Amino acid sequence: MEKDIREDIAWAQINKDVLKSLESPRRIYWVILLIAIAMVGVAVGCEIYQYQTGMGVANKNNSHVWSLYIATFIFWIGMSHSGTLLSAILHLMHADWRKPIYRFAEAMTTFSLMTAGLFVMVHLGRLWQVYYVMPYPNERWAWPNFQSPLVWDMFAIATYLSSSVLFLYVGMIPDLAICRDNIHAGWRKKLYTIMSLGWEGTDRQWRNFRMTYLTIACFLIPLAVSVHSIVASDFAMSNMPGWHVTSFPPYFVAGALYSGCAAIITLFIILRYVFRFEEYMTLPIMRKLVRLTFAIAMVWTYLNLIEFASVWYGHDQTAKDQLIFKATGPYAPYFWAMIFFGSILPLMLAFKRFQTHLPILFVVSILLNVGMWLERWMIISPSFAHGHYPWAWDHDQWPSLIQWGMVFGSFGWFTLLFMVFCKVFPSVSMYEVKEMVYHRSLAQKHKPAVKGDY
Amino acid sequence: MSITNLLENWSDFRHQHPSEDRPHLEYKWAMSIDLDSCTGCNACSVACYAENNLPVVGKEKFAHGHSHHWMRIERYWDNDGREFADQGAQFLPMLCQHCESAPCETVCPVGATNHTADGLNSQVYNRCVGSRYCNANCPYKVRYFNWYDYPTTDNVWPAPMEQQLNPDVTVRGKGVMEKCTFCVQRLTVAKSDARTEGRLVLDGEVQTACQQVCPTGAITFGNLVDPLAKVGKQWMQQQVDLNKDKQAKDAAEDAVKLRGYRILEELRTYPSVMYLEQLRESAI
Amino acid sequence: MIENGFNRRNFLKVLGWGGATVALSGCGNTSVEDGREFVTSYAETADYIIPSIGTYFNSTCAQCDAGCGIMGRVREGRVLKLEGNPESPINNGKMCGLGQAGVQAHYNPDRIREPLLRNGDRGEAITWEKALELINEKVGSVNPENVAFLTGVVSGHVKALLNNYLDALGSGHHYVYEAVAPSVVRASNKKAYGVEMPRLSMDKAKVIVSFGADFLGAWVSPVHFSQQYARFRKPDNGERGVLVQVESKMTLTGANADRWLAIRPGTEGILALGLINSLAAAGLPVSEDVAAAVGEYTSDRVSKDTGVSAEHIAKLAALLKERSPSLVIAGSAAEGYAHGSQNAAAIALLNQVLGNVGQTVEAPSSVPFPQMAPSTGNSFALQSLSDDMAQDKVKVLFSYGANPVFTAPAFFKLKENLKKVPFKVVFAHYMDETAVEADLVLPLNSAMEDWATLMPEYIAEGAQLNIRQPLMEKMYPGTLGVGDILLAMLKQRRPDEYNDYEDFYSYLRSAMVSNKDALGGADKDDDTFWETALSHGVVKLVGEPVNMTGSMSAAALVVPAPFAEDATYPLHLIPAVSASMRDGRNANEPWLQESPDPLTTIVWDSWVEMHPKTAAKLGIVEGDIVEVASKSGAIKAQAYLFPGIHPDVVSVPLGYGHEAMGRYAKGVGSNAFSILDPVFDNETGELAMHETRVKVTKAGQRVIIVKDEGPAGGSQMGRRIALRIPSNKVNLSEEV
Repeated sequence: MEKDIREDIAWAQINKDVLKSLESPRRIYWVILLIAIAMVGVAVGCEIYQYQTGMGVANKNNSHVWSLYIATFIFWIGMSHSGTLLSAILHLMHADWRKPIYRFAEAMTTFSLMTAGLFVMVHLGRLWQVYYVMPYPNERWAWPNFQSPLVWDMFAIATYLSSSVLFLYVGMIPDLAICRDNIHAGWRKKLYTIMSLGWEGTDRQWRNFRMTYLTIACFLIPLAVSVHSIVASDFAMSNMPGWHVTSFPPYFVAGALYSGCAAIITLFIILRYVFRFEEYMTLPIMRKLVRLTFAIAMVWTYLNLIEFASVWYGHDQTAKDQLIFKATGPYAPYFWAMIFFGSILPLMLAFKRFQTHLPILFVVSILLNVGMWLERWMIISPSFAHGHYPWAWDHDQWPSLIQWGMVFGSFGWFTLLFMVFCKVFPSVSMYEVKEMVYHRSLAQKHKPAVKGDY
Repeated sequence: MSITNLLENWSDFRHQHPSEDRPHLEYKWAMSIDLDSCTGCNACSVACYAENNLPVVGKEKFAHGHSHHWMRIERYWDNDGREFADQGAQFLPMLCQHCESAPCETVCPVGATNHTADGLNSQVYNRCVGSRYCNANCPYKVRYFNWYDYPTTDNVWPAPMEQQLNPDVTVRGKGVMEKCTFCVQRLTVAKSDARTEGRLVLDGEVQTACQQVCPTGAITFGNLVDPLAKVGKQWMQQQVDLNKDKQAKDAAEDAVKLRGYRILEELRTYPSVMYLEQLRESAI
Repeated sequence: MIENGFNRRNFLKVLGWGGATVALSGCGNTSVEDGREFVTSYAETADYIIPSIGTYFNSTCAQCDAGCGIMGRVREGRVLKLEGNPESPINNGKMCGLGQAGVQAHYNPDRIREPLLRNGDRGEAITWEKALELINEKVGSVNPENVAFLTGVVSGHVKALLNNYLDALGSGHHYVYEAVAPSVVRASNKKAYGVEMPRLSMDKAKVIVSFGADFLGAWVSPVHFSQQYARFRKPDNGERGVLVQVESKMTLTGANADRWLAIRPGTEGILALGLINSLAAAGLPVSEDVAAAVGEYTSDRVSKDTGVSAEHIAKLAALLKERSPSLVIAGSAAEGYAHGSQNAAAIALLNQVLGNVGQTVEAPSSVPFPQMAPSTGNSFALQSLSDDMAQDKVKVLFSYGANPVFTAPAFFKLKENLKKVPFKVVFAHYMDETAVEADLVLPLNSAMEDWATLMPEYIAEGAQLNIRQPLMEKMYPGTLGVGDILLAMLKQRRPDEYNDYEDFYSYLRSAMVSNKDALGGADKDDDTFWETALSHGVVKLVGEPVNMTGSMSAAALVVPAPFAEDATYPLHLIPAVSASMRDGRNANEPWLQESPDPLTTIVWDSWVEMHPKTAAKLGIVEGDIVEVASKSGAIKAQAYLFPGIHPDVVSVPLGYGHEAMGRYAKGVGSNAFSILDPVFDNETGELAMHETRVKVTKAGQRVIIVKDEGPAGGSQMGRRIALRIPSNKVNLSEEV
């Protein structure tokens, strides 16, 4: 049986290895950081232009009122689900293998939510009035419309974002204390001192910490499910053919977990290389991750088929026309690419030999996310192109470079946040890895208490 | 609005049309369009540009689908594979249907589009944040977004063209959604005049710009609550019920049919615009 | 006491405003202080200005020659919107899109604002005094025979002044030119009925057969006809009228027909005679000469010649026989050929055989003031002028209300001929193609700033004199009304008669008031009469009905056989007259450019309509840039496939392709006038607009057509959107 982690790593070694990531990454780290900053620059430029000139520069129109921004928004919301999955769900299920990787997955959650939120902003025609969406007390009797799924979205995302920041932070407190204790001067020392909230590792602190962490984890799981269900309601609650589908919420959640897991694989490989985390982000863990991804891919495929079947055998001719249009019209290449990347390609992950082949996994995981991005785009664009009203159909609309620039830049923004995070905070949970090592060493001494990969 | 107020009057706030138990009180503006009279001449559309300060966006923006015709004339062919469209075209003036149960209203995050007491689907430009959800959910696609800031765009209203702008109608800036208002500025004046005289607006006292200009009089507009109003009589005669999503017409199998219908009624939008089917002589 | 009217209130007002402006502007002089602008206090305004309330003034539309009454909404001294004048029997308060756009002609940013004198390639602004002096000098220095006036349709007091000026000069050269006019039909009507423009009572007809008359779109008086059409479709008794349109390219009227019959171009006369034959065969009494004339037009032959199926001919004949009265109208599609007069005569004969003359084709009223009756134009006039210019017979040319450089086909060589005229004066609103060629450009008031009386050619009931009055102050001090210019020119010639009139307004008022007895104002004093006339916008006149002749001889009626095929130029070109573009004079009004063509929904460009079959044969798909070449020239435009056109025909709309005029017109589309062939009607000498034969080839490029129609085209994709049922399934008399 493979080991998720070696049981003979000294605890001091763990501290040393992880803290090293705060100081001296490979040179490629700086290259990635610079590229990310440049990408953000592109997006900022695009947004300034769009803000000043009007939404028309995005090349949306009265038929296609939504486009890449919303597609990419859903994509990023989806990405955010992996962190919760790994840290909260697997935490409750006592899956130990998540321990070396959950921290960065959680960071991913937070940062992809922050990216997604920006897309809602750039999507608005009057960004400067965005606060109208919030229910703030005012003398004008003007409240947001609580019937609107967009308002639910606003609440859901805000709650999810604040909760996941909290979750990420709380889970980091013991590690921040380690950092505080190991770094002797500079702004980092002050930062860690403040942020570790006087953690000393007393029994009482540990007890309270565990309880808090568990509570937030329990709270976060329904939240994560609800966030993407609500994003799905943006579509399912409307009457557009292709959107008006009851199975959208689970479908969205599955898609979210799927793209999140794929993204974790990608980042896993990057971090392992950049920060020399080979000891912690081990291949057996990767294998489990890949298997999980495969399982979710199949769930997603199943839900996809359910959606098609319910439309096909339903009585809504408009929705059926819409489905046929997706599969045969001008969007067909993207549609079939989505099916290929989303349902066919992951079959590879079922084969053992690919499950730990990092270069292949790197490429495949990115392609899976391309497929998932296409899925979102295939939800948005074809419905606008081919809706209820034939006179208003528009099959030719293509997003402008401004939109593409913004989408491109969003990846830079996410990478930037993520890379800065990894450099400032320990991206591998030291105390949990220690626990894991300890558990393993116990398991070495005694026979495993439970059946499994202990 | 205080929270107390909100809670106390919740049922009023969440009250929605159509409903049998709470009919419209004084006014319910509605329209009927006779497709057999409509010749597709576009006069209504131009009148709407004149009345409602619609920007002329130019060829390039029109090509991108950024046009602003609140009243658009659609032209359909029905030649079923015959060599020629030898029964002519089917013209359809399409404007905001002012649905009683408007899909756009429920989804607007800020409540910028909502139903007025007299049954209009109104758009509050100041409140609009430009999420465009309303357009996404509008089955008729009759909402038009200000993709650019037309007042400052070249050749939209170059001086002195801006002097033509109707001071009764807001000139919309970039980023807000707009659509047909049933010429609410005219309705407001008529209602206020009537109120001054202590009466209700009489039938024919107020016309929408499209109705006023229509050379064949294909458009009838008025107050559906008023038993004397022509529009109400037409609805009644055609047995089109505002509060139903299936009309007598669809059920009738008799020799003589009704020709009043509402577009995409099956989506339960309960539109306030009734169309009368186009007729074609079968003797030729 | 202050005697000069500067009372305390004014003093305080000045003090207040002065103080405010000083306070606002510091020490610098403001435009108010300088007197360049003045402040109007709404506390004490003119009595017709109520802040925020629109007031309405009646006037007459100038967008086409139909003469609809308009009612301008004026607020705070600005005209905002035009409505129809309910008192005008022509349009009864209704308008068309073209008319609505009149405000855009008024506020157009490309209007000329001061007189311009040619200096090399540029126009140099000069004063009106100098301009008029120059005219006086030039006109005085040439033989009156060499002075020519080219105008569009003129009527009313402007026409009277113009005639007086020509009189004063002793020149008889007044060329009235209309690029698009039913001139052959006028001539044929004159022959058949004794009047050029009989009154068509569509509302009385049970069947209308229109041979290409686009009476709902652009023919004669479309707003009036549209109203009649509405009553024809839905009369009180519920008997819905049946409209059959016979033409080679579907017009707006054709698109509203119960049956649109695609006819081979030029064979309209044959079909008319064939219908007479079928009617006679069905037992309709016809005179012997008629029976003889139509004897050979059997249904089979007619069907073969025209391409209209024998079944439809039979059905149409049955319908015409069964439902009487009917109305047969000859329109531009019938008259646009070398044998256009014969076509029109055959159609008139059909009307006569059906007994429609006197029933639905009625006598118009005579016009009490013939000197004010409209001078209708034709293209023959332009040809004569062009010939005269070519022969150096014109030394001074005035052009008003026409843009011949744009509308004349290339073979006229009008631009070259114009160069031979030493002094060309153009009265213009825009620097259009003709104004660009002028030596002196005189900027006109817009129709919303001008005084005039007009008498339309087609009057719905009785006779009427329309009044055009300013709806607001002049936008630019440097423009003048055409009446003012003519008056000033007349003062140069006949100072004794005209020096009493300060301006055209005073002339018009005194001319009207002095004739008030005949104008229905016998019982009113001068001011009341004048103000009543102005407030109504229309002066209704009593006219005697004209006698119509009801019988024409069929003996001389010969309709030629259909066109032979032409291998080099296999297709017929139909230059389409669209409801909003017409001959292109309004092309600089953006509402019209952005208002989609009703049939193709194309905006901001011209296009080549062709049948999908023709396109397939030529390998053309929608959006291909094609070259349409005739013997006289070639143009390029985007191809649009269209199920309402005969496969032997392609159609290009007129009015596009301006090379000047203004920002909205210039460079939009291509000019179909330019490639028309020099073929003329045999009898009237009118340019036969539909005679041009063309070939169509792909030019290589392909564009996405800018139109309102989406990728679904005209299909409803099985959804219930625009519905249609047979008329016998409903009972219209029960309807509200």
